[in-house]
Amino acid sequence: MNKRLVLGAVVALVVGLAGVSWLARTMNDRLSYRSPNRVSGEQVTPREQALRDQAEAQAQADKSKKYEEAEYRRVPVIGSRVAIWMVAQLHLLFAAFVLAVPLFALIIEFIGYKTKDPRYDALAYEFTKLLSTSFSLTATFGAALTFMLIALYPKFTNYLMSVFSPTFLPYVLLFFFEAGFLYSYYYGWHSFSKRVHLLLGVGLNLVGTAIMFIANAWLTFMMTPNGVSEAGAKISTWEAVRNYTWMPINIHRIIANVAFGGSVAAAYAAFQFLRAKTPEEKAHYDWMGYIGNFVAISAFLPLPFAGYWLASEIYAFSQTMGLTMMGGAFSWLFIIQAVLIGCLFLGANYYLWLGMGRIDGAERFRPAIKYLLGLVTVCFMIWATPHSIISTVDEVQKMGGANHPMLGFLGVMSAKNTAVNILILTTYVSFLLYRRSGRIPGVPWAPLGNLIQFVIFAVTAAIVIFFGIYGYFVEAAVRIKFSVPQVLSVLLAMIAVTTIDVFMMRGAKQTEVRWGQIPNHAQYVLIFLAVTFTWLMGLMGYVRSGLRQHWHVYGVIRDNSPDAFTPTLGFATRVVSVTVLLFFVLIGLVFWLASLAGKGAHHGAVEAAHGEPPMPAATQPPGGGALPAPSPSAEADLV
Amino acid sequence: MKVPIVLKIAVIAVLSTAFYTYVGQLVPQKEVQPPEETKMSATMTTADLVTTGKTIVEGKGSCLTCHTIGKTSGPMRFPDLAGVGSRAATRIAGMSDIQYIADTLYNPNDFIVPGFSPGMPPVNKPPIGLTDDEIRAVIAYLQSLGGTPTVTMQTAIPYAAGSAAPTTETAAAPAEGSTAAPAGAEVAAAPAAVAAAAAPAAPRAPDALLTQFQCASCHAAGKPAPALEQLSGKGEPELLAGLAAHPATPSHFEAAMSLAEARALARHLARKGGGA
Repeated sequence: MNKRLVLGAVVALVVGLAGVSWLARTMNDRLSYRSPNRVSGEQVTPREQALRDQAEAQAQADKSKKYEEAEYRRVPVIGSRVAIWMVAQLHLLFAAFVLAVPLFALIIEFIGYKTKDPRYDALAYEFTKLLSTSFSLTATFGAALTFMLIALYPKFTNYLMSVFSPTFLPYVLLFFFEAGFLYSYYYGWHSFSKRVHLLLGVGLNLVGTAIMFIANAWLTFMMTPNGVSEAGAKISTWEAVRNYTWMPINIHRIIANVAFGGSVAAAYAAFQFLRAKTPEEKAHYDWMGYIGNFVAISAFLPLPFAGYWLASEIYAFSQTMGLTMMGGAFSWLFIIQAVLIGCLFLGANYYLWLGMGRIDGAERFRPAIKYLLGLVTVCFMIWATPHSIISTVDEVQKMGGANHPMLGFLGVMSAKNTAVNILILTTYVSFLLYRRSGRIPGVPWAPLGNLIQFVIFAVTAAIVIFFGIYGYFVEAAVRIKFSVPQVLSVLLAMIAVTTIDVFMMRGAKQTEVRWGQIPNHAQYVLIFLAVTFTWLMGLMGYVRSGLRQHWHVYGVIRDNSPDAFTPTLGFATRVVSVTVLLFFVLIGLVFWLASLAGKGAHHGAVEAAHGEPPMPAATQPPGGGALPAPSPSAEADLV
Repeated sequence: MKVPIVLKIAVIAVLSTAFYTYVGQLVPQKEVQPPEETKMSATMTTADLVTTGKTIVEGKGSCLTCHTIGKTSGPMRFPDLAGVGSRAATRIAGMSDIQYIADTLYNPNDFIVPGFSPGMPPVNKPPIGLTDDEIRAVIAYLQSLGGTPTVTMQTAIPYAAGSAAPTTETAAAPAEGSTAAPAGAEVAAAPAAVAAAAAPAAPRAPDALLTQFQCASCHAAGKPAPALEQLSGKGEPELLAGLAAHPATPSHFEAAMSLAEARALARHLARKGGGA
């Protein structure tokens, strides 16, 4: 088509519209009635006069309008609650990442400093590269959250300020210091001496943790208020900070942040692995993915124990709130949580089993994998079994009651606690087998060590199962206390077995670990794990906040907004999903920007480091084998 | 055709979230609305109160989060409420059904039914925050579970605004329309012996009461009354009844003892005898 013709048509259209508009306005003026007695200078039509009067009345009304403090304001379409929910969740996800990565980056850097191995330093730097953009996004979403709170929930925000205003200045100052530490830690990587740089990392972690503790005080106060009168008047800010759930949330979040941060960093490594062009790059990112996943799973294993503490504090504060969580509106949420955690355990184990393929000598453990898989699956199924199910009248009659004659027994806490503890123990065994792959212990007492480890596992499993079965024969008040010996026995078993293993593997013979030679789908497993961790954080954030139900501050400040109801779990999961996908779009941007920064001199150093011969066994990466140069031919077979 | 890596990753992320969202749709979907304000009026009859009380118990009161009605087997968090209307008058000697139910609602941890743990919040305070009239309706409904409801809007409810917290003296006199406790051998004696004067506002600790009333001067080895240590292990209701039937003359006490104080003392004696 002729471009001139199109342009001419557009011009003609615009001119035509302008002409019609002018004509309409002119005709309207001429058609308006004008009094013949008016002075010619006062060409005001009755319509114009009416409009003037109306405007003047409005101006007068505006002048005399009284100030009224708004309690709430609305966001169109999605509503205020969903808007603030999503922004708060995004802020929290980025904040968790920014707090977690420096923690394990510092540890890895320290290992590199002590072992003089440049690969650890390069790895720590690679993790830290993800921080600067994430920090900006954290601050952006934090500011958005603050402004939205002020705009949408002014009265409630004002109340929080009345209680917590003394904490604001320290928070701002700490944030300022965190920015200083973070940027000097990242940009000063090659400028400061190693000791000074490590000190910067320590400062970054301390300040970041302090910031989180302050913010946690605000949100836990909303759940389990303290330090205020029954009417809500402040008695003591410190008591308000030191409420029932403050310290449990602090500990729970530190651990969960590390698990989440490790999984997202592993997803970054997976992304880079899939894009890698050279065997050296693949080896580096395979190792990085392994370390990220190792960090995530190591932090994930003790997380349920921190969760128990948090839940017990919620019960201690209010049985009503505790029962709402576990037996009321939110009880079915824990079935969704069980599915998520089951997927995490399955994914984490599967990744470890795939990883054994890159270690010579791992074949001897292959037969054990099917049994481990069976155990993980059975435990997963028990954990995800609901106590009662929605049934028709016919089904109820066939079952002989609301509970299934067999499955009903598996839906109670005795069975679930047992299943989750065995699940943790099984995953730990998988990790131990991976760690043992390709290693032949050199100490003479190795057979005895193996026997002791086996006995520890057997005794622990027996304790867990014993309390699980015994729980069916005692009252609820007694049964609930059984989780403590179950949890402690698993925790002690993991510590004891690890300690024995560390001593047993000193000076062990190590076969080659072919980093980079792992199937591509192992990388997709890492991405799946990161998505699952993120989704789990979103879900558990919802239950923590949702427990307040129709209260802004539980029992003190009631929510009178149209959003005061507790939504269905289906709705909540949709909001969580949208937020998670938004997070991954944004974290994708972070990954891309970080990859741009990796093309410099440091990248060359990384590649050069990976070309070096294998490091001695004493300096192996945590839980894994040595890091030799990969063999391209073997890689081609696997990918 | 080679699929870009970014697209593959996006598909993994979308499919994973879609799966979890799908799981979220499979579980029961319940939207929990905030409790509505109950409409109460001075003209409500006992039958009206029972109906309203049932609504409150099932809704705003959140009672059924923990209690059940008519559950006969399996584990129970808190006592089953079926038959509470007939049991209430027999739980504590000297207390009518209305007084007992009111006490369990306003001060739920004063008396714990054997076999259960404390944990119920006072229903007149947030987060439940029932008004006195709403509590009146709840009492009427609970009376109807196995008993005969007698509460009206004019019935004096202990602890309600404008009503003094009942001392053991007031507890001895059944409230209007309530069912009096049956007269047993131990519980028949009027508890007035321990309530000669008005109860002080702030409750005193059991140790302070033991010291103040010089209990050990009679309750000791070689004395006519059983030693305080021997009281350890007895049931709270038994000790409370014994306290109510205390033979000492009112002049023996320097001040009266509130019901809450008497209960705390009974609990203390049951647990530790006279020891700290």
